[in-house]
Amino acid sequence: MVERKKIEIPAGAKVKVSVGPEEKFPFDISPMYEGERIRKEDMFVELGGPKQVKFELVLALPPEQVEDMKVTLVGPDLDEMQEGKEYPYAMIYYIAGSKVETDLEPVIERRNHDFQNYIEGYMHLNQRYDVWVRIGKGSIKKGLKSLIQIAKATMMLYKNELPFIEKIEALYITDKELVEKLLKEVAMPVYEERDKRVEMLHDEDVEEFYSCTLCQSFAPTNVCVVSPDRPSLCGAISWFDGRAAAKVDPEGPNRAIPKGEVLDPIGGEYSGVNEFAKQESGGEYERIKLHSFFEFPHTSCGCFEVIGFYMPEVDGIGWVHRGYAGPAPNGLTFSTMAGQTGGGKQVAGFLGIGINYFRSKKFIQADGGWYRVVWMPKELKERVSKYIPDDIRDKIATEENAKNLDELKEFLKKVDHPVVKGVVRKVDGKKITEGWVEEKVEEKVEEKKEEAPAPTPAVAQPAPAVGMPMQMPAFQLPAIQMPASQPAPAGIKLVIKDAKITIGKIVVKKSKGES
Amino acid sequence: MTTIAVTGKGGTGKTLVSALLIHFISKKSNRVLAVDADPDSNLADALGVEVEKTLGEIRELFQTSRDEMGTMNKEQWLEGKIYEAICECSGYDLLVMGRPEGEGCYCFANSLLRGVLRKLTKHYEYVVIDSEAGLEHFSRKTIDTADYVLIVTDMSKKGLATAKRIKELTKELKLKFRDIMLVANRIENKTAEQTIREFADEEGIKLLEILPYDEKVVEFDIKGIPLVKLNEESEVYRKMSKVAEVFLKG
Repeated sequence: MVERKKIEIPAGAKVKVSVGPEEKFPFDISPMYEGERIRKEDMFVELGGPKQVKFELVLALPPEQVEDMKVTLVGPDLDEMQEGKEYPYAMIYYIAGSKVETDLEPVIERRNHDFQNYIEGYMHLNQRYDVWVRIGKGSIKKGLKSLIQIAKATMMLYKNELPFIEKIEALYITDKELVEKLLKEVAMPVYEERDKRVEMLHDEDVEEFYSCTLCQSFAPTNVCVVSPDRPSLCGAISWFDGRAAAKVDPEGPNRAIPKGEVLDPIGGEYSGVNEFAKQESGGEYERIKLHSFFEFPHTSCGCFEVIGFYMPEVDGIGWVHRGYAGPAPNGLTFSTMAGQTGGGKQVAGFLGIGINYFRSKKFIQADGGWYRVVWMPKELKERVSKYIPDDIRDKIATEENAKNLDELKEFLKKVDHPVVKGVVRKVDGKKITEGWVEEKVEEKVEEKKEEAPAPTPAVAQPAPAVGMPMQMPAFQLPAIQMPASQPAPAGIKLVIKDAKITIGKIVVKKSKGES
Repeated sequence: MTTIAVTGKGGTGKTLVSALLIHFISKKSNRVLAVDADPDSNLADALGVEVEKTLGEIRELFQTSRDEMGTMNKEQWLEGKIYEAICECSGYDLLVMGRPEGEGCYCFANSLLRGVLRKLTKHYEYVVIDSEAGLEHFSRKTIDTADYVLIVTDMSKKGLATAKRIKELTKELKLKFRDIMLVANRIENKTAEQTIREFADEEGIKLLEILPYDEKVVEFDIKGIPLVKLNEESEVYRKMSKVAEVFLKG
């Protein structure tokens, strides 16, 4: 972790200091000024913005290091600035309090945008190293003289709105060299550290997930559950976005879902998520496992960026993204499969996801993760290549290796893909598939309970259009055992409509006489 | 804030009307936002300004870069980019909506956009929107609502039919406007004038002004001269100044 300490002000720098709260401000402070755009023609000066070096940063420090309500300004103040010009700008806040932690820095830093926009005649845009501030001519006329007044107003808002901040101190800088130096040496390492933390944050580290129901106008029973290890299906909303939105509007489309009890740590099943799913889908779904492909998978809205499809013939999963127009090896295109799965359904054998989910350490971990993946378009594979484990990357086929199931089988055999001999899931070392049992007619085929997808979610759905083979692994798994060259002798196609079937276990055996 | 949505069939002079409205209103108010919401028209050319970036481009940029944003706030990111895209012209600001959505899901991007635009527009005194006849940005709610719907038509059957359809559409979309108005353009003779008056009466649309056929407008179009460079010599210019007065009075 980057060490948090106060910034040393170089000797000889032009410094202004003020301690203690301000009695009166020459400007109004109110949320009604949010979104106020100060036009170039009305602008006194621009601080930061597209043409200057700039940043804002919040650092959590031990209380004894923070001098409450102190502002230090390094560099020229407003009364030394030329009207109509742009200046470098850095806003650094040191904060302390018994509940203040390093983790909260980004959350608190973000609020600088809100609070500063409450200030009449002051426009604040962007975040981090992009901040863009304008001060209106009107404010100067009304008596704004110093950036210290701005800093004091912001600190006051921080303490009023976030009472857990017990002490706050500000360092504002308009000196170009110092802003440049601190951006490089202090701010950037902190931003990078925060972004790294995103990848290190997992489902088990948080208490709440977030829902997204923005899509419910198209997919009424869709319940998007956004967790640190699972972004939204459309790819747009991360756990951090969900958290931010839920804070702003707790009754809005992104609401907090208390995780509740962990029911299945590998599949990612939580009692809180199940309750929420039941409630939000209007009772349609009672269970959702976040990291499972076959068993109570997440619902698919219609917005998803990528669809996964199970191919029983190779006992593997393929993925195809929206931009890939051709058919996948199963003969179906993205849009055909999406049409069947979308609309907020839970369909075992198909799963809509956001591209970001490929980055997840828990990517369909219950069903073997990357080791169960057999095919994806080249474009998609290249896009997520760095997240594919080294030992499987070259074993995943693209359209260049295989365009149909026969070619795919050939390829998988050649590269010795785990599905051929059986997939061992990395998370607990358990062997979850038996592998292909090719040309061994005598082999007894038994499907173990663990792999059998729970039939309830699948059959609870209205069946897809007749003529579309329903790729439910429970019923088609036996077909895997058929050698590639032979057409499946059974040729079973099951279309089940409005049926309720509960199956504890299925055992499919080949009778001795047949071959 | 007063929002005026100028709409009508393509080629009827919608952009001419929008540009001149902006021109006149911005002489009286310094908080005017012009919005080009018609990908087929070119309000910027009519106003004689250059635009670097469109909202559509920003939305695409958002779609492709959002995965790399880490803990950054996406709404703030989008808001900053929109503010950067706003062209600061002399007397008014201009925002170009640009191309429509590409593939993929825009629910989230549009939901953020709506929020940003709502916050932004409320600080302007006048918002003038050059909108295509389908009122797409209204139906998608990227633009919330309009106080006045100003339909521009010429005397062509198609122009009038479109005007009629727009009126129906505003009902379907439940746009809560204060008034729906008509400006007729390129009206060459009394018969045509009569047809327009009857049409306005029948449809219950307030006829605001009848603009004549104007050689100068044609000439400017051919030469690519911004239409706001028209002057008092042009009857269209003089009459549009009166139209602007209607809105300036409120």
